[in-house]
Order: sequence, then C-alpha cells, then structure tokens
Amino acid sequence: MLVIKDLHVSVDGKEILKGLSLTINAGEVHAIMGPNGAGKSTLSNVIAGRDGYEITSGSVIYKGDDLLVMSPEERAWAGVFLAFQYPVEIPGVNNTYLLKAGVNAKRKHQGLEALDAFDFMRVVKEKAKLVELDPSFLSRSVNEGFSGGEKKRNEIFQMAVLEPDLALLDETDSGLDIDALRIVAGGVNKLRSPDRAIVMITHYQRLLDYIEPDFVHVLANGVILKTGDKSLALKLEEHGYDWVKENL
Amino acid sequence: MNLIQQTRQDALALFEKVGLPSKRDEDWKYTDASRLADLLELGEADTSLNIEGLGITDLDAYRMVFINGMLNEPQSNLPADVRMVSLADLQSDVADEDREDLAQLFKISGDEPLFNGLMALNAAVATGGAAVCLADNSVLDKPLYILQVSNQNNVLRHGLMLGVNAQAQVIEHFISTGEAHALSNCVTAVILKAGASLEHTRLQQEGKKQSHVARVEVKQLRDSSYTFHGVELGGILSRTDLVVSLSEQGASCNLNGLFVLDGRQHVDHHTRVDHKAPHCISRENYRTVLDARSHGVFNGKVVVHKGAVKTDSSQSNGNILLSKHAQIDTKPELEIYNDDVKCAHGATVGQLDDKQLFYLRSRGISEAAAQELLTFAFADEVLAAMSNQVVRSYVEKEAFAKLPHGADLDGLLGE
Repeated sequence: MLVIKDLHVSVDGKEILKGLSLTINAGEVHAIMGPNGAGKSTLSNVIAGRDGYEITSGSVIYKGDDLLVMSPEERAWAGVFLAFQYPVEIPGVNNTYLLKAGVNAKRKHQGLEALDAFDFMRVVKEKAKLVELDPSFLSRSVNEGFSGGEKKRNEIFQMAVLEPDLALLDETDSGLDIDALRIVAGGVNKLRSPDRAIVMITHYQRLLDYIEPDFVHVLANGVILKTGDKSLALKLEEHGYDWVKENL
Repeated sequence: MNLIQQTRQDALALFEKVGLPSKRDEDWKYTDASRLADLLELGEADTSLNIEGLGITDLDAYRMVFINGMLNEPQSNLPADVRMVSLADLQSDVADEDREDLAQLFKISGDEPLFNGLMALNAAVATGGAAVCLADNSVLDKPLYILQVSNQNNVLRHGLMLGVNAQAQVIEHFISTGEAHALSNCVTAVILKAGASLEHTRLQQEGKKQSHVARVEVKQLRDSSYTFHGVELGGILSRTDLVVSLSEQGASCNLNGLFVLDGRQHVDHHTRVDHKAPHCISRENYRTVLDARSHGVFNGKVVVHKGAVKTDSSQSNGNILLSKHAQIDTKPELEIYNDDVKCAHGATVGQLDDKQLFYLRSRGISEAAAQELLTFAFADEVLAAMSNQVVRSYVEKEAFAKLPHGADLDGLLGE
C-alpha cells in the first residue's frame, strides 16, 4: 500500500529524515517509536501533505501512485488519514458539517452520490459510539473547547467516519489518561481490517498493550534503525533508545 | 411653526453653515464625502417601486415599509399597542403628548460626538421615518422590521423610544433596486429608559452604485441594555457613525459589526462609546472580510469620563484580506479619565490560519472550499450574537453568496 524509499526531508534547510525506507501493506499495524526530534512527526506530516517540508530525494508511492505530487485533499480522497498530534481548534466550523463535506468530497471523487443528511447522521451516530463520544460534540465547532483527551477521541471518531485505507496516528496516546486510552485504543482496534493499514507513532510502549502491532520500528536520527515485532517495544521500554544504537 | 418645525429649520441653517465633511477632518480622513456632493437633492419620490419578494420574506414581524423615503402604509403592519407616528404627523399642528420628547430627536447642536453636516441635513430634510414609542414595561411580541427600498436619493429619520423596562427587537434593512446612483441618508435615534432593552440590526444591502450614510445615536439610562448588529454587504460607499452614551449607572451595550466587501466597495464605521456613569459595560466586536479592491475603515473610540468608575470596556476588531489590493484602516482609541476601570482593545489584520487550512484539507475539503469555509466561520462568529435566527440565516446566506466560491459550500452550512 505504501512504499517509502530513501526519503530525505529538510525543514528550514536542516535535514530531518535522512534516507528513510519503509513498506506498509494492507491489513498491517505498524508502530513507529523513537526519541524526541527523531523525525516521527515529520514523517506523518510529509505523508499527509503538509507544507513546509522540503523533499530533497527519495520517493513515497501509495497504491502505485506518487503520493508526493498530490495535494492534501487528493490524498484524503485516496484514503490517507492523519490523526493529528495537536488537533487544531476551528471556531465556527461545525464538527458534523466538516465530516459531511469530507465524506461527500471523497464520494464525489470516487464517482459516488453524496450521502443524504439522514444516511449521514445514521453513520455518524453509529461511529460516535465506537469511541464513546458524547453526541453533543457533533454539533460543536471543530475541537473548540475540547479537552486534550476529547480532541484525540474526536480524531479517531473522524477516522471512523472517513474510513481511510491508510491511517497515521501521530501520538494519539499522548495526553490521554488510562481510561481514555482504553476507549481510544478500543475504537482503533474495531477499525482494524484486512483492507486497512494503520501506522501508530508513539513514544510509549503502553499504547501497544492495547493495540497490538504487527511491526515495531525504531526511528532515530532520521532513519529506521531497527524493525522487529512487539517484543522490540518491550526491550525499548526497558533499555531506552540508546540500547538500539549501541546494538546495531 | 411648531417645535419640531423650528428644530428642523435650525438644523438646515446648521448644515448650510458647515456643509459636507472634508478629508481634512480627522474623522473623514479615509472617506471622501465630496463624492456625495451631487447626491443631496431630493426630487419627487417615486413610490411606485415593486417591492414584492424583497427583503426577509419569511420573518414573522411587524413591518414598516419605506419606498424612496416615504412610508408605504398598505405594506406596513403595526402592532396595536405601539404608537407609531409618521414624520408627516409630527409636522402637523395636531397636539401630541410626546412632541417635546420627539423634538429632541431632531435637535442638533453641532457639539455631538462625530457631528457632521450630513446629520444636520438629515434632521432638516428627512421625508419619513418611524417614531416608535414603547410604553413602560411593554414588550414587543414580534420584531419590528423596517424595510427601506430605494432607487433615488432618500432621507429617513427614525426615533425609537423605549420606556422603563420595555423590550424590543428592531431590524432595519436597506435595499435598492436597479442600478441607481443615489444616496440614502438615514439616522436612527434611540432612547432607552431605565431597564429597557433593545436589539437593533442594520442590514445595508443596497445596489452596487448606491451610497449610504447613517448615524445611530443611542442614549442609555440606568441598567438599560443595547445590542447593535451592523451588517454591511452592499453599496459603493457606506459610512455609519454609531454613537452610544452610557449615561446612567449599570447601562450596557454590545456593538457588533460585519463587513463583507468586494469590488471597489468602501465601508467606514466610526463608533464612539461614552462611559459617563459608574458600572457600565461596553463590548465591541467588528469583523471585516475584504476582497478585490475593497476598503474597510473601522474607528472605535471609547471615552471613560471622570466619575465612571468600575467601567468595563472591551473592543476587538478582526480583519481578513482576501486580495492584496484590499485595504483596511483600523484604529481603536481609548480615552480614560479615571483610574478604576477595566479596558481592553485589540485589532488583527491577517490571512487565514495555515494550520486550520491544512486540517480541513487533510479531511478532504478542497483548498478553495477550505479557505471559504474558514472565511465564513470567521465572519459568522459576529453573527452568532444575533438572537433572531431567521435574520441570522438570511444574513449568512447573503454574506456567503458574496464570497468568491460561495456556491460550492452550500452543503457545509447545514440544513
């Protein structure tokens, strides 16, 4: 589904990703772990299409197409979704309208009819249950006045409604208390499917207790230093990132 | 000659003395009143305009309709328990218990804040208007909707007097037909007695070549409350002076403004709030969305007089420029003559927030639609203060239609 080859990315002239390669197939759940400043968020932002990242070399191929030439909205239509580390508040833009516009823009792109208001609300209510989101959040402005945990829950709710093929969860666990983490992780688990790939970016092993990854990657100094299974995360938790560097 | 006739003659003399405002006048620095010089003559009013389907048709309200400055009685429908006096009545010699009060509405001394010749001219030559007197403790059960349609120069003057604890909602809506190049000169004088409460909307939606000058003058007594919504969508040159006097303890005002402009539209609001008594509150929130070569001017002055302790005043002005040729001149001014006050003001001029834009696009909203949606949301925050949802959705729809890709976004606005 996603093939990243030798990706070099700079921000303000400083190289952050230094030849990163990664292959992700449908149905897989990947965890990318690494210390602060390793380039984890840069990677997710580059995949989602955010401005301000200079791609100096390498390629990102998504479903056979060059992802890097696509606009953020084209990527969304093609099934890419980013759950933001810091979801932005957008006063005056209604949460539900945003999703309706997003869903219908994608359907239009796929040559499907727009969902009518009734069908759409049915889907929305069903998905809100998935992350135990209070229905009153649906009629509020996007993330406005939401607590940190509510924002993260709202991201996973949006993911559920938009039904992406490739979902990137950027530190979705940070700022969540243990109950909220359990609920959010439960929502993500219900969204696992053979057609969907999920990439979790996280600092901590504890998320992986709830969402079991197929692969764990260690990202440091702009490259994937090591790839393993779930046990790699446990070793990291125990020994720290320096252990990986020392044992290369 | 009765009191009112005398007052109007004095106003004419004053206009002849001072003439039109000049660009040398600091308050008219950005708005060229000389462009109005040819638009001061009043011809015979054409009252035959077809106004069917114009205005906010689905609003459940009492209506007053003015066509080129003349009251159209068949189209008007007034509440039984509210006294409304037309200007023609005022000029007759028929005795009227409120004549002295009403004469106040025409009295111009030349010392008023933001005084200018146009307001004197208005008092002198206005051909119509509503004089609404709401008795003590009465509550108008429906809004009063004053529709003012024109294609000629017209001069209107309204007086709204709310008695002790009276409550009302008044919407003035200005529309012009055809491609007339004319001037509307409208003054609304408001007096709110103790505990009275008024929500007052002015919706200026005149034609592309029309000019509009207005003055809203509000005098508030103890514990009264005034809410203003000034919406500017139409016209080529529009200037409003909004002057509020918080004259007695506990009075409060909320002044909201929204300009959505394109082409070469020029809109200028000067607001002036005088805190003259203790414990008064003023809130002001103006937003503008300026496209093409349009020009917005916002000048908000708050004066806290000696003795007005515990004054609580805040003002904010946000502006979005959609084109590099659009221009905003914004100036908050604060004059404080005592220590015990809380005052804040701020103005921002900017483009849209990159983070918000990216967030929307990452959810599948196209770039153009995301820009539009954020622009609309920015403007709509001011409209959220409107209590009348029918008026609000009308304004939202009309404001939205003025944005460059308005039509694409229809679905985002809900049902």
